[in-house]
Amino acid sequence: MTIELLDVRVNHQGRALVDVPRLTLEPGQAVTIVGESGSGKSLLAHALMGSLPRSLQVQGDIRFGADRSCLADVGARRKLWGHRLALLPQEPVLALDPTMRIDQQVAEGHPRFLHGRRGRLDALEQASERLAGLGLHNVHNTYPHTLSGGMAQRVAFAAATIGGAQVLITDEPSKGLDPVARDSLARLLSQHVEHGGALLTITHDLDLARALGGELLVMQQANIVEHGPAEQVLTAPAHPWTQRLLAAEPNQWVPSWRGAGASSADATPLIEARGLSKAYGGLPLFSGLDLEITPGERLALTGPSGSGKTTLGGILLKLVHPDAGEVIHHPDLADGRVQKLYQDPTVAFPARTPIRAGLRDVTRRHRVDPERVNMLMDRLRLDPSLLDRRPGEISGGELQRIAIIRAMLLNPRVIFADEPTSRLDLLTQQETMDCLMNQVSEQDAALVLVTHDIGLAAAVTDRNLSLDNADPVSMAPARVD
Amino acid sequence: MSTTPPNVDHTNAESPVTTAHSQPTPLWGTTGQAPRRIPWARLASTGLLTALALFALIGPLIWRQYTSQDLSQFLQPPSLAEPFGHDHLGRSVIARLAHATRLSLGLAIVCVATAATTGVALGLLAAWRRGWVDQMLLGISEIFLALPALLIVLIFAALASGEMWTIYIGIALALWVEYFRVVRARSVSVLTSPAIEAANLLRLGPAHMLRRHLWPELAPVLLTMASLGMATAVLAMSTLSYVGVGLKPPTAELGLLITESLPYYHEAPWMVTAPIVVLLLLLAGLLGLRAQEVRR
Repeated sequence: MTIELLDVRVNHQGRALVDVPRLTLEPGQAVTIVGESGSGKSLLAHALMGSLPRSLQVQGDIRFGADRSCLADVGARRKLWGHRLALLPQEPVLALDPTMRIDQQVAEGHPRFLHGRRGRLDALEQASERLAGLGLHNVHNTYPHTLSGGMAQRVAFAAATIGGAQVLITDEPSKGLDPVARDSLARLLSQHVEHGGALLTITHDLDLARALGGELLVMQQANIVEHGPAEQVLTAPAHPWTQRLLAAEPNQWVPSWRGAGASSADATPLIEARGLSKAYGGLPLFSGLDLEITPGERLALTGPSGSGKTTLGGILLKLVHPDAGEVIHHPDLADGRVQKLYQDPTVAFPARTPIRAGLRDVTRRHRVDPERVNMLMDRLRLDPSLLDRRPGEISGGELQRIAIIRAMLLNPRVIFADEPTSRLDLLTQQETMDCLMNQVSEQDAALVLVTHDIGLAAAVTDRNLSLDNADPVSMAPARVD
Repeated sequence: MSTTPPNVDHTNAESPVTTAHSQPTPLWGTTGQAPRRIPWARLASTGLLTALALFALIGPLIWRQYTSQDLSQFLQPPSLAEPFGHDHLGRSVIARLAHATRLSLGLAIVCVATAATTGVALGLLAAWRRGWVDQMLLGISEIFLALPALLIVLIFAALASGEMWTIYIGIALALWVEYFRVVRARSVSVLTSPAIEAANLLRLGPAHMLRRHLWPELAPVLLTMASLGMATAVLAMSTLSYVGVGLKPPTAELGLLITESLPYYHEAPWMVTAPIVVLLLLLAGLLGLRAQEVRR
């Protein structure tokens, strides 16, 4: 059954957040919407689902085959949830109930779950079968916190589709997943399409869009600016905005800071690590690892989730004790000349304090001219009024840039960046990395970048240390495209 | 839009698009400003407490004599000069009430201040040092938690019956544990957070951590607990006097006032109602403040 959305408009206080004249979902077809954050793509999905916040006004019609109803009639759509329409939420780790075993959670979506004891048992059996079919054999009665991001995503997929919904809407399904988990997710979603389902995917991950194929729509500022078959749009973009989006992929970057940091191989290393070993819960992450970080060098730590990248970084920064081996810091690194950037910058700032107050403490403590904050804010094109807000009240990209400013106030020699852009969309990622790398080369600092994005590692760093489980430690220069 | 060049720079910081970016991601169902409700409960309880505090401060200055007996005034009904009449010993009830309110409020404030200071200091110490200091303090707090609070006060009251300091120490000892436990639990989670790790890397000292990280996290909880603790202290004091192990007559105390006037319930109902009403208003005011839970 075809679903059509006609003249969708979502307004907030008179401003149009979504303005889409037509969107068609056909059975057996994948539709993907890409765009930067704030372009309204998530709102479009929630308008279709009928789960928009109450403060937004929605206009337009929805057509299910022959019957047509108003998009604002949320109650009618709510009845279709589960068995006709399903939503795979963002960040399944947060969407799953932490206090429920996963098979119970999945079973709740089954149509017979509320039909007495027998129905409940049937539902549970079906849920276990479904989880086993997704490769989750032995975990069906565990709790969500024991799962990896990719596994949690599959559980959420099972829960969303057990009701037999033909139309599946997924909102940023690949957020926080490493490439392996993302590929298996793409296969899963493609299977749904092959079985005759309709799929609407909202993402800013162009690799996922490529893997899904089908129809691709590009959204910018509430409007769809380009649409067509995915291969065509992604290889020969017609609209300038799409071109810009594609140019923001790391392997397309033309960086101005490339080669700026002269890596002096003979210089004394800033951080020297010998024979590092660390195990986590009985499983060795790495052992006998030697590593040197010289001034001005750019090193990438790559590997799938859970391979110990962050732990190794923590050891290098002397925040975590290794099981064996030692880390020697050059005396130059005393007094805060090693700084760290976090994946989620909101957790790195005091939550209830305006950002300005936090930065003032830094400038006072290190006798930095407070004017430098304003100068850097200006250089990084950030509105000074952002500083009066609290960390949770500004966007991730902006806060990450403020975190870069905060780190730069101490003139660091080593910057350890732990997935600094993995939660950001491509354009914001490019902007943030640009800002980071400009600062790094200006300060002539060494950079250690933790990432699971090989493309990003290749674009930014000169050396790549891969912590793959299959091949524990391999040192190889990163490919430069 | 179609005229946007492919590599447009981001200098347009004032454009509506960029402003839209800086909005936090909407939580479904709760976007936009929450409709501001007038905090009636808080206004009412603040007003009530202010009135009671004024009565406790100014009352004793107006009605000075609360112990002078005049048996000719035995159970005199209320008049304009004496709004609650005289008691069975001919003492002015309003004067005794004013002094009792002052005593209750004052002692409650002192008890809570002592308990909160001790609890917060020890809680921060335990969360900061961890290890054996933490274990020892936790053990001590568990001993206090295992004993009913009233029992602790009773033990102290038995040491020197009717003395003010026994009541004070007893109540403070019963109350400090909750401050300790709450402050310790919250501080441990704050002190192990990435924000503190970042602050350490930035070499920001303990003053920064206390002021920017811990205090903003603890203050709202402490205020809530303090108002609840005041109510507990007032009630504990009255209970002790009522059962006869608290302060001794002729001290004016709300619990004592109730006990003294109970036998004359039939002849002079106003006499027993007055302290009960004051006690209820005091508790209602404190609990009303507390009803403003920490909403985030």
